Amino acid sequence: MVYISIAKNYKIFLIILLLYKKILMFMDLKEFELIYKQNRCEIKDKKNIETRLKGIVGKNNISTKKIDLLAYSKDTSLIGFNWTLQGKIAGLPDFITWPETEEQISEILKLANREKIPVIPYGEGSGVVGGAIPVYGGIIIDMKKFNNILEINDKNLTVTAQTGINGMNLERYLNARGYTTGHIPQSLYISSLGGWIAHRAAGQFSTKYGKIEDIILGMEVILPQGKIVKFKTISRASTGPQFDKLFIGCEGTLGIITKATLKIWPYPETRALISYAFPTFEDSLEATRQILRQQIYPAVIRIYDADETFRHFDHIEKAKNKVMVVFVCEGIKSLVNLEKAITMDTCEKNNGVACGEEPVEHWFETRFRVTETSLSPTLKTVFDTIEIEILWDKAADLYHSVITTTKKIKGLIFITAHVSHFYPNGVGFYFSFAGIAPKEKTDLEFYQEVWNTVIKAVEDCGGSFGHHHGVGINRSKWMPVEWGVSFDTIKQIKNLLDPNNILNPGKIYENLWKNGDEK
Amino acid sequence: MSEILEKYKWIGPIIEKMDRDLKRIFMKNFRMRDKNFFPEGDYKADIKNLVNCMLCPNMCRFDCGTLQTSLTETMSPAYKARIGYYLTIGLIDPMKKENQDFINLMYKCTNEENCKIWCPFEFSVVSLLETVREDLNDKNLMPDYCKQQIDKLNNTNTIEEYNIYRTYTEKGIENIETDGNDEVFYYIGCESMKFPEVIKANIEILKKAGIKFSTNLDSKICCGGPAFNIREMETANKFAMKNKELIEATGAKTIISDCPGCILTLSNRYEKLGVKIEKQIIHIVQFFKKLIDDGKLSFKNKIPEEFRKITIHDPCLIARNLKDTESIRFILNRIPDLEIFEPLYNKDYVHCCGWSGTNHWADRDLAIREARNRINELKDTGVNIFISACPLCELGLAYGIDENEKEKYKIMDISELIIRIL
Repeated sequence: MVYISIAKNYKIFLIILLLYKKILMFMDLKEFELIYKQNRCEIKDKKNIETRLKGIVGKNNISTKKIDLLAYSKDTSLIGFNWTLQGKIAGLPDFITWPETEEQISEILKLANREKIPVIPYGEGSGVVGGAIPVYGGIIIDMKKFNNILEINDKNLTVTAQTGINGMNLERYLNARGYTTGHIPQSLYISSLGGWIAHRAAGQFSTKYGKIEDIILGMEVILPQGKIVKFKTISRASTGPQFDKLFIGCEGTLGIITKATLKIWPYPETRALISYAFPTFEDSLEATRQILRQQIYPAVIRIYDADETFRHFDHIEKAKNKVMVVFVCEGIKSLVNLEKAITMDTCEKNNGVACGEEPVEHWFETRFRVTETSLSPTLKTVFDTIEIEILWDKAADLYHSVITTTKKIKGLIFITAHVSHFYPNGVGFYFSFAGIAPKEKTDLEFYQEVWNTVIKAVEDCGGSFGHHHGVGINRSKWMPVEWGVSFDTIKQIKNLLDPNNILNPGKIYENLWKNGDEK
Repeated sequence: MSEILEKYKWIGPIIEKMDRDLKRIFMKNFRMRDKNFFPEGDYKADIKNLVNCMLCPNMCRFDCGTLQTSLTETMSPAYKARIGYYLTIGLIDPMKKENQDFINLMYKCTNEENCKIWCPFEFSVVSLLETVREDLNDKNLMPDYCKQQIDKLNNTNTIEEYNIYRTYTEKGIENIETDGNDEVFYYIGCESMKFPEVIKANIEILKKAGIKFSTNLDSKICCGGPAFNIREMETANKFAMKNKELIEATGAKTIISDCPGCILTLSNRYEKLGVKIEKQIIHIVQFFKKLIDDGKLSFKNKIPEEFRKITIHDPCLIARNLKDTESIRFILNRIPDLEIFEPLYNKDYVHCCGWSGTNHWADRDLAIREARNRINELKDTGVNIFISACPLCELGLAYGIDENEKEKYKIMDISELIIRIL
């Protein structure tokens, strides 16, 4: 019996070794452990593909060098920081390309279709759900060379830009000319216009200015088989199904957006900074709901639960053991004064205690000073944020449900929340968690358990599993639950546009986190 | 550790509530934090901040000159720190020839330090890369393009193939030897020697202001700045000692230089080596400002029409290292009828000319493209004359102008403008 068992184990060992060797044959950077290593595309004649890519983009716009491949092996998924410290890489591309024209992108896509090679569009790599990770290898199309601002139209209040432009550089350019897009996500410094559109982003000032789908008026998109499509810039139209909207939130799976026209606004004349501390989370929700019901739209509203109030506003005496809410109203003076008065009055009617401008100033000072990502991996903790949507009538229930169920997970250190986005009809919650994987689990397995627990609680309450970070790898498991039978139709649309499934595979439509196990 | 405890004191109550096992593991991880990820043995790399930087979401990426010019992820600041960490811990073996690209990346930075403005930890990436360079030097892995600079320093005492200071006669530059009793020592940078008109202008301005000064070009040597950039500390130390001796022999209480790189080296960098020069060391524009304040320098003539509109390019070493964006503007604002234009990125937020740091040796093409980007930003002001106060900027920016536009656009040192109105 013992011999049989040894022989069996030996066979299994050999199989594993052969599989591992096969993976290594196709892999550079062998010193790094690869996380997503299953089903990598097999490129038979890499040299030949490289030559053909050179023919398309020119020899200076393609690389197969180790130093470049490693640079594109991750996005900003927070577990990726743990892997970075541990010498692991999420995915490994085979080619990096930096096209300069739409035609070059089109030709790369045509080549990829012929050779069945995955293509992964890459902007600034700031996504946090794995959207830009080359999970099966393939060709990275880095959009950074599409970074021109093409036109500001003052009369129409629009700016047209290529989508590889960095968000902060677009905003700085506009600010210098007296405008803003009003789209100010926390990732402003590190994200691109294309990334905002692809992941259906929302900024911190979006209660006033709208989300990216409200801001985009026109686009140019290259479809997976290489067709270049130019959608008109329109303020609004009734011209049949709005095909262009399909690409907002497609996460690079249905097309590559190369150019977009956005709404802009005159830079606000004035700002009012308001903050209130509430005795309960429910009071704070009620106050903000009533503000929006009166059609008052502060650019920024943020509710911090008691734990996050302690974390961020411990120095504010009136906020001790309370729930802090910060508001920013901005625009022309007379309107801001009115919004400020109604906001303050409504807060006071709902047991709010005015805390002045200082907490808002503190928020302005610290909102881009991200240090947690640098600390957490060194403590061997797994840290992340999960943002979700819920209508007002279930908002408080959902909050408590997520916190209660997630706290039961073995190894969890904390889960807290703030409410970051507001509508007259509902809100966007932003949960933050940290924990240490118990012995029997890998970091990824623990991470998946928390993600899946939070999302299950959200779905059970009737909320949506994502508010503005997108689906990527992290949420694809939940697509059938979120969309129900219509998910099949979404997949059919993907199949129609991308029959060879070459454009950013492994995201949205496929579940790489089967049963919560590390794949 | 205490910083972390202060910033993250909110974790205290959370730790209190943890179950015993989790608390034990968390506290162990906290105690072992450094040991877990720090390499063993001797190294000079600033591991703590390399890790902080590589695990940051790249918050400074939008303002990193080499990234915004190369437009590749490979050049992103956090990635450079990541490679620095991997080279230090040996995950990427620096001794393997195939890993030369990774070593080269440690030198692809312009020292402009825009990153420091946006850094949540308030350091500059180059300050981290320099520590990695020291370890590479200790392993005898200094790239050839850096070795060449060190050789030049040791062979000619300057950063040129020949001792550029000895060319002053053929360039028509007056040399003023010290009598050991100078008021001021005009410390001319080696790069400045490529711009004799600037030096001549500075000498004339100082004379007109009645300053007793010397230049000592017969014995003048480089400040050693390039060795500091490369972190070849033996050479750096040698130059620090020699310069201290030469400067002290002048008897001058004030040292002025036309090169902000020299100012940085003579002051901060020497001090860090333990070589303190007990003099006031300032940039020449700061000295000119003082002369105007004291009534020793005034502008009498009208600015010629062709120089009436100018755009300022702040040298990053004056703006961010000396933290002085005022002196240049103070001087220019006193020139009657001068119209001053500002580019979008100016003062503390100025973009680099491309010619600082080690990048122009490691990747000359990238440096030229960065210069071109900056020239385009200056051109956006609609003005054809760009005024600066740094020989490296004036050198770098010149590379950024296309051959067919050399006639149209003019890069001038501030002294060349002043001399026209004295």
